[in-house]
Amino acid sequence: MTKRNLKALVLLAALGLLAFWLLTMPRPLGKQDWVDHVGNAANGERLYHAGGCHSCHLPDAATGIDASLPAGGTALKTPIGVFYPPNLTPDVETGLGAWTDLEFVNAMQRGIGKSGSHLIPAFPYTSYAHMTREDVLDIRAYLASLPAVKNATKPHDVFALPIVRRGLGLWKWIGFDDTVTSFDALQPDAINKGRYLVDGPGHCNECHTPRTIFMTSNMGQYLAGGPHPEGEGKVPSLRGLIERGRYKDANDIKLALQNGELLGYEKLSAGGMGKVQTNMSKLPDADVAAIAEYLASLK
Amino acid sequence: MTSLLTKTILAAAFGAVLATGAMAGPADDAIKARQACMKANGASMGVFVPVIKGETKFDAAAVADAIAKVEAACGGWAGWWGADTQKGETLETRAKPEVWTDAAGFAAAGEAYGKGLAGVKAATDEASFKAAFGAFGGACKGCHEKFQVPKG
Repeated sequence: MTKRNLKALVLLAALGLLAFWLLTMPRPLGKQDWVDHVGNAANGERLYHAGGCHSCHLPDAATGIDASLPAGGTALKTPIGVFYPPNLTPDVETGLGAWTDLEFVNAMQRGIGKSGSHLIPAFPYTSYAHMTREDVLDIRAYLASLPAVKNATKPHDVFALPIVRRGLGLWKWIGFDDTVTSFDALQPDAINKGRYLVDGPGHCNECHTPRTIFMTSNMGQYLAGGPHPEGEGKVPSLRGLIERGRYKDANDIKLALQNGELLGYEKLSAGGMGKVQTNMSKLPDADVAAIAEYLASLK
Repeated sequence: MTSLLTKTILAAAFGAVLATGAMAGPADDAIKARQACMKANGASMGVFVPVIKGETKFDAAAVADAIAKVEAACGGWAGWWGADTQKGETLETRAKPEVWTDAAGFAAAGEAYGKGLAGVKAATDEASFKAAFGAFGGACKGCHEKFQVPKG
């Protein structure tokens, strides 16, 4: 190899590294993206249930902490390792007490943590990014209204986590759509509301839409079901629920989401859906009706 | 001629044994029984749920009949979960490995179900039936959440 070739090679490698560095750089929202909004805790509570926040952020039973509070720490096993979801109560040291609203929004909608690094999308910010900034701040207001619980959660047990985190920048560059769900003026309000709840806080796509080889949502197969993300079994399609005879009508879907097996709907328990259904049962009737209406409209 | 006939019969018999070996077996039998039990439970829901929804009136005889069918179909439950029944010879099962790795949890879920069913069975009128039904449906959900493989 000549000296000139070697120089070219070194230059190429340096350029490659620089490109990687730039592409994977976290790009948080700044002050220029800010909206002034006073958080509405009541609306936040509704969205907290729509988002199923508690299902992952519940405290580890061994701590004896009030299980209804999102104090975090219950092991979340995923194919890449074990996560210990953080404490969402307003404790200053171990919870969100020291977080600014902007930091909270960056975590929820850009997948960037307080330290400025990428968050692993086991936390479904990929869906929460489709929410309005106001709604996210409402969740923040609700969380701030909860009692502060001191609970330092364990560090995640994921192989080479810092490298994975940085590499996520590339993944976000490939397939992270952070546009807020738009409202279609030609559609009834219930359909729009349902779509917003399904695609945003409800994060139904995370399991019900299959993934591409890059592990991004394959939106061409929107809510069409696929392999279960945690390995075993399958996730059903949410399209053609009426046409395929799974449910009679939108009201049937609504009752299923609100009651699950308490009304004999046996398909809403396995694979993690049982928790989702419990969360749905806490939503206002009109919200579940809107979700059902929207799902029934998907052919 | 005789020997050829004997050989043919022997070969056929051997083939049949091989075929049966690759077909049904004890695990299949257990899975079949489990699924028949679940089916009876599903059918009982078809009787219970309209009462809960207020679509039909509480009918003690119909409820008792549905429960009798469940009891008949599920009576052998305790004997259907041997370690060798995690996979069928030919049949697929939706039982998760947790049934065997968390045997205590599975036993507790079964117990909750038994209590739920007993509660429904003890109901004498619409009010007591509605009050008892929650524990039954809740037991179904509690067990399926942990021990059932999701289906597409």
